[in-house]
Amino acid sequence: MNSSLRHALSQHLLALADDELILGHRDSQWCGMAPLLEEDIAFANLALDEIGHALVWYTLLADLAGEDHYIYPDRLVYFRQIADFRNVQLVELPNGDWAFSMLRQYLFDTYETVYLAAAVGSAHQPLAEAAAKIRLEEIYHYRHTSAWVRRLGLGSVESQRRLQAALDKIWPYTGQLFALSPGDEFLVSAGYLPPSTILSSTWKDQVVPFLLDCGLQVPVESGDEDTQTGRFHPPLSRERHTPHLKVLLRELQSVPRLEPQAVW
Amino acid sequence: MHASDPEMALLNARDVFVRRPECTSLWVVLADAIFSKTAQELEEQELGDKGLGDEGVKEESGEVENYYIFYKPKPTGTQTLVGEVPAAAPVEALRLALERFSGDKPPSAWWVLPARRVLVSSPDDIESMFAPAQDKKFRLSTDFHTLTEMRRVKSEFGGQ
Repeated sequence: MNSSLRHALSQHLLALADDELILGHRDSQWCGMAPLLEEDIAFANLALDEIGHALVWYTLLADLAGEDHYIYPDRLVYFRQIADFRNVQLVELPNGDWAFSMLRQYLFDTYETVYLAAAVGSAHQPLAEAAAKIRLEEIYHYRHTSAWVRRLGLGSVESQRRLQAALDKIWPYTGQLFALSPGDEFLVSAGYLPPSTILSSTWKDQVVPFLLDCGLQVPVESGDEDTQTGRFHPPLSRERHTPHLKVLLRELQSVPRLEPQAVW
Repeated sequence: MHASDPEMALLNARDVFVRRPECTSLWVVLADAIFSKTAQELEEQELGDKGLGDEGVKEESGEVENYYIFYKPKPTGTQTLVGEVPAAAPVEALRLALERFSGDKPPSAWWVLPARRVLVSSPDDIESMFAPAQDKKFRLSTDFHTLTEMRRVKSEFGGQ
């Protein structure tokens, strides 16, 4: 593997891991506050699953960097600066209400199932194996969150209103999931990843009809027509973050930073 | 489980009950569809008498259908599926179950429920709902040593 490909792969793995970590942390913030006791347990488990998936990606990254499997992921999670995180802004947004969190999780789970189904065929064997393992659990996540979105969309006037408001807010952030990062062209040409345009169109083919079936109006596409209306567009680069990530990391990293040399 | 419908109950049950790796299937049935009798209730009054009929059971098609029979061998045990009977009503199903499945030692409690009301996970669900648990370490509360360690620290440093 040449250095350009290695660097691109490490950046890609970091993005995958950071997405899972930050979303898992956001989900964990529902623990004790979900609308039903059983859902509280279920969503907390889902949060743990996402953080577990992050660990899978961080461990692959450790392998690539020749670093320790146990120490390196903790170092990345607890001691990196905000500018070094590569997650999309979608996952760092505050939880909002239940409709917002369920819809965000559904949109992300669908993205993951589409990405992982393609990554199973990656020419990079460790990536393909990790994708196959994570994909199984994500199929259940997708089933869980799509069941919630359907019920909220087709439930009461109030639940649909909240879900529509969530969709209007979240939708512009979804474009970042499929934006090319520097070096992605090396990964695609090496057969490590499918082109993001294919992932994006597959994702939309699943998501848009489903949301319409749930009684929702899908916002207009990101692009020129939006620019004309002056709508907000998040940046596509994963190097830029909202102020919410700083608050999230302050909490997430607070305990290890009290005593960095502590052994747990 | 508390849930809006059987599918949501099935999905949440995966997280509430089956984090242990040996699970391969889940069944969900609306609590109202379960006709239950304890051995004590059956001793005190003849089945079918007023007060021991279908009270509390809203589900009765009137046509012969399959009923699942569960019983608890001992008061401290768990309900266990022991078989199926064809019947036109829960009371009739329990009457048949008493004849067929009582054995030498009468069970401590019975459950009878129409098979059509049971939502069962599919064999296709095993990979996504249950198999991932096999790679996870299942920890009992005793596996977490924080409390023990805190007690040790307190005793060593005089509660500081």
